[in-house]
Amino acid sequence: MGKYFNSGGKILGLALWLGAASMGAAQAGPPEEPRVVNMAELGKVAGKRGGTLKILMAKPKDIRMMVIYSGTRLVTYNDSFKLAPDILKSFDVVEGRQFTLHLRKGHKWSDGQPFTSEDFRYYWEDVAYNKELARGGLSNKLLVDGNPPKFEVLDELTVRYTWESANPLFLTALAGARPLYIYKPAHYMKQFHAKYQDKAKLDQMVIDNKVQKWSSLHVRKGRQYRPENPDMPTLQQWMNTTNPPSEHYIFKRNPYFHRVDEKGTQLPYIDTVIVNMSSSAIIAAKTGGGESDLQARYLRFDNYAFLKKGAETHKYKVYLWPNGKGSQMTILPNLNVADPVWRKVMQDVRVRRALSMGINRPEINEAIYFGLAQETGNSVLPSSPLYKEEYAVAWADYDVEEANELLDEAGLDKRNGDGTRLLPDGREMVITVETAGESTEETDVLQLITEHWKELGIKLFSKPTQRDILRRRITNGDTIMSVWQGLNRGLATPDMNPEELAPVSPLQGIWPKWGQYYETKGVAGEAPDLPEVIKLSELYQSWRKATSVEEQAKIWHAMLSIFTDQVYTIGIVSGTLQPVVVNEHLRNVPKEGIYSFEPTAYFGHYLPDTFWFDE
Amino acid sequence: MSALPPENTGKLPHFVSKEPFDLESIEKLTPEQERIYFASQLTLMWWKFKQHRVAVWSGVFLAVLYASIFISEFLSPYDMTKRHVKDIYAPPQGIHLFHKGEFVGPFVYPYKVTRNMETLQRVFTVVDKKPQPLRFFCRGDKYKWFGYVKSNLHLVCPPKKGSFYLLGTDRLGRDMLSRIIAGARISLTIGLIGITVSFVLGIVIGGLAGYYGGWVDMIVQRMIEVLQSIPSIPLWLTLSAIMPATWSPILVYFGITIILGLLDWTGLARAVRSKLLALREEDYVLAARLIGASPKRIIGRHLVPGFMSHLIASATITIPTMILGETALSFLGLGLRPPITSWGVLLNEAQDINVVAVYPWLMLPVLPVIFVIIAFNFLGDGLRDAADPYK
Repeated sequence: MGKYFNSGGKILGLALWLGAASMGAAQAGPPEEPRVVNMAELGKVAGKRGGTLKILMAKPKDIRMMVIYSGTRLVTYNDSFKLAPDILKSFDVVEGRQFTLHLRKGHKWSDGQPFTSEDFRYYWEDVAYNKELARGGLSNKLLVDGNPPKFEVLDELTVRYTWESANPLFLTALAGARPLYIYKPAHYMKQFHAKYQDKAKLDQMVIDNKVQKWSSLHVRKGRQYRPENPDMPTLQQWMNTTNPPSEHYIFKRNPYFHRVDEKGTQLPYIDTVIVNMSSSAIIAAKTGGGESDLQARYLRFDNYAFLKKGAETHKYKVYLWPNGKGSQMTILPNLNVADPVWRKVMQDVRVRRALSMGINRPEINEAIYFGLAQETGNSVLPSSPLYKEEYAVAWADYDVEEANELLDEAGLDKRNGDGTRLLPDGREMVITVETAGESTEETDVLQLITEHWKELGIKLFSKPTQRDILRRRITNGDTIMSVWQGLNRGLATPDMNPEELAPVSPLQGIWPKWGQYYETKGVAGEAPDLPEVIKLSELYQSWRKATSVEEQAKIWHAMLSIFTDQVYTIGIVSGTLQPVVVNEHLRNVPKEGIYSFEPTAYFGHYLPDTFWFDE
Repeated sequence: MSALPPENTGKLPHFVSKEPFDLESIEKLTPEQERIYFASQLTLMWWKFKQHRVAVWSGVFLAVLYASIFISEFLSPYDMTKRHVKDIYAPPQGIHLFHKGEFVGPFVYPYKVTRNMETLQRVFTVVDKKPQPLRFFCRGDKYKWFGYVKSNLHLVCPPKKGSFYLLGTDRLGRDMLSRIIAGARISLTIGLIGITVSFVLGIVIGGLAGYYGGWVDMIVQRMIEVLQSIPSIPLWLTLSAIMPATWSPILVYFGITIILGLLDWTGLARAVRSKLLALREEDYVLAARLIGASPKRIIGRHLVPGFMSHLIASATITIPTMILGETALSFLGLGLRPPITSWGVLLNEAQDINVVAVYPWLMLPVLPVIFVIIAFNFLGDGLRDAADPYK
C-alpha cells in the first residue's frame, strides 16, 4: 500500500484508496511499524489467538466501556504511568507548547483504509471549526488563554499543534479514559458532510435516518466514544458488528490493529468479545454462575463471599483490586444551592468540617467494607506521589463533641423540642441527600450516617433518583447535598490534570454554578466569591501554564491542601476493594491491579488485547 | 317503591287491642328449642363458627399476634435499630435446655467470631464449653413505649456479655427477631387502617348507589369499572411516587394505608349495592319509610345490619390483600422506607443474591407473612360460613 502515499496530492490519494478498497486489495495485518508489546517485560506470557470473551453490561450506554477497556489512545500511560505513544509512532514536544505527532507507516482503519494526517485535518478543519457540527467551539483542553493552537499538516504521517504558550493538558487529554478525539475517519465521515456530499443525496440520508439535519446525522454516525455504528471504522482492537438496540453486542477483531507481541503475532489474541446486556441487579448472580469471563463493573465488595462460593464450580478466579478513586463515595455539599439560607450554611467551612467529623468512619468501614478500607477523606491515595497524610486525615476523625461545638459556633445553636438544630430562618435542619440510586451500598452508608448525624442534631433523608435526573438537579442548584464518587484521579501524578479540585464544570456537585461560569467562559453561571475557591481557580490556571513537573507538583500540593482543609467534599472511606472475576483459563489478567477510571481506564491500562484463553 | 299511602287521609288514630296476647298460645316450646329459636344472630354465628376448628385456631393465632403489637418493645430482645458491628451477619443462634446431659434451663452457647480472609466472611463458631443462660423479665435496651413511657423491661434478654440472635442478624448487625416483631406492628395495622378506609367508602358509596338507584347508581358503577380496569401495581406505584421524600416515615405510612384503602373499596361497594337493591324492596323498609325515617337512618339502621355479617366476613378476606399490598410496595422499594420497619421493608432488604446464597436467614420475614395470610383466609372462610347460620 505504501506507493499510494507517495503519489502526492491528497485528493488523488483519496481516489486511489477508494479504488483500492473496491478492488479488495487491502491486505489485513498490522502497520509496517507496529507497536511491539513486550509480554515478558510486562510480566505477561505471549499466547495464542482465538476464543470468545463474554462480558456483562447493564445499560445501552455501557457500550462505551468497550472504548474505555480498549486502552487504545494516541498516547497512553505506560507501566510506570509515564506518557508513551500508542496509536502514534512517536511525539515530539518543544517547550511544552509545540507538539509534533508522528503516525505509523501503513496504519489502517478497521475497514482497510489508511489512517493518515488527512483524518486529523478533516477533524480540525471540517468538524472542530464547522459551526454546525461544533456549536460549543473547541474543547477547553485545546485552548490556552482562550487561544486555539496552530494546526499544520507536515506530511502524510505527521501533524503539528503549536500554542503560544505551554499546554500541559494536551497529551493527558489524549490519554484520558474518555479521550479527547482530534481525528475522525475522514474517508467514511465525508459522505455525511455537507461540504463533501451532494446535497440531494445528503438530504435523502437525513430523511432515511429520521434526523433533523445533516449535522445530527454526522454526529450520530461518527461517535467514537460510543461505538454504536457498526459501519464506522475504528482503530481499536475489537470493532462492533451489532446495530443498537440489542441485548447482545458482538465485537470482532480489527484485522489492522497496530499492536503485535514480541514474536510478531498481531494482537488482539481474542477473536470475539460478546457484550451481553442484563439488569444490573442480577449481574453479580450471573457472574457467580460463570456467565462472564471478565467482570468487575456492577460487582460490589459485598458480593465477594458469594462470588468466591461459585468460583470452583464455575471455574473462575476472584481478584480484589484496590479502587483508584480518592474516596469510595463522597457527600457533596452544594455551595451553590438555590435556597439562600442553605447556601450560606453550606458555604460555612465550620459546618462542612463538623459534618465530616460527625461521621463514624470506623463503624462504616467495619460494617460495610469488612474493615479493609482506609478511613480517610477525599484526597489522593498513598500510592500517588502527591500523597501526604495530612490531606487524607483532614477533618476525618470521629469527634462528636468538637463537631457539635463547630456547629454551635456557626450559628446553628438553636434546637427544637426533639433536639434537631434549626436553620437561621427557623426551619428544621433536615438535609435531603440525593443519590443516583444505583447501589444499595450508598443507601447503607447513608443510613449509618443518618444515625451519626442524629448525634449532631441534624436529620438526614436519602432520596434515590436517577443519574441523569440527579445531574440536572445538581446543575440547577436544586440539591442541598448529593452523593458521588471521590476524586477520579486518586493516583494523580503532577502532570495529571487537577481540574477536579477547582470549579471547571457545571457537573461538579459542590459548585455547579461556579463550574458553569468557567466552562461557558463567563456567559452563564456565577463567578466564585469565596476567597479559597478563587484561589483554587487561580492555582488551576497557573497549573495550565506550568512547564516543569516540580512546578506542577507544587501547585497540586497547594490545591490539595486547600481542598482537603476546606472539606469541599466529605469523603467516607478510600482504598476499598473491587472484586474482579476472571475466567480460570483467561491468561495475562494481572492478579493485582488498580480499578479506576483515570488513569487506568479500568482494564484498558492492562492491555485487554494481550489476554488469551489457554484452552 | 310501589305502594305509597293515599294522600289527604289525615293522621290515622292510634289503635291498641285490649285482648290478652300470648306468643306461645299455639305451640309451647321446650327449653331446648327455646334456646335455639330465641338465640340472637350473633350467638347462632358463634355456634356455627365454633365448628370450624381451623378457623378458630387461626382466630386465636391472629388475636395473639395483634395483642403482641401493643408490647412489641417488651417482647423483642433488642432494640430493633441497634447495630452490633461485631456481629454482622450472625446466623441464628439456637436455644438449648441441656448442657452435657444436665438441665440448665433455656441458654445459648456463645459465638466466637473470626474472619476468614480467604472469603472475606465473618465466621461464627459455636463455643459449647460454657452455657450462657438467658435472662427473663430483665432490663435491656431502653425504649419509649408508644413514644411516651420510658422503660427497659424485656421479656427475654441476651445473657450478660453474650448475645442472643434467635433469627440471626442482618448486614448491619441488627437482630432479625426484634425487627420482625417490630415489623408486625406496621404490617398488621396497615391492613386494619386500610380496611377501615375502604369500608367507609364502600358502604357509603355502595349504599347510596343501591338505595337511590338511577343515575347515582349509573355514575358509581362506571366509576368502579374505571377504577377496577386499571392494573393495581402501576397505580400504587404512581400514587406512592407522589409522596414527597421529605415526608416523615409516619406520614408515608398513613399515605400508603390510605392509598391501599382508596383503591380497594370498589368490590365492597358493589356487594353493598347489590344487597341493598334486593333489601330495599323488603316490607320492613317500606314500613320504615312510611314512619318517615330518613334515607340515612334506613341505610344505617335497617339495611346495613341485615348483611353486616357478610361484610365482616368479606373484610376479613380483604385484610390479607392489604398486607400483601404493603409488602409488595415496600418490596419494590416504593412503599415504606427505612427506618420504618415492616415485613415488606425487611423482605426488600433481603432482595439480594448474597442473601439467597450466603445469608438465607434474612429471608425469614416471609414466614410471618405467609402464616398471617393463611390465618386470615381460614378465619374469613369460617366467618363466611357462620355468617349464614340458617343454612
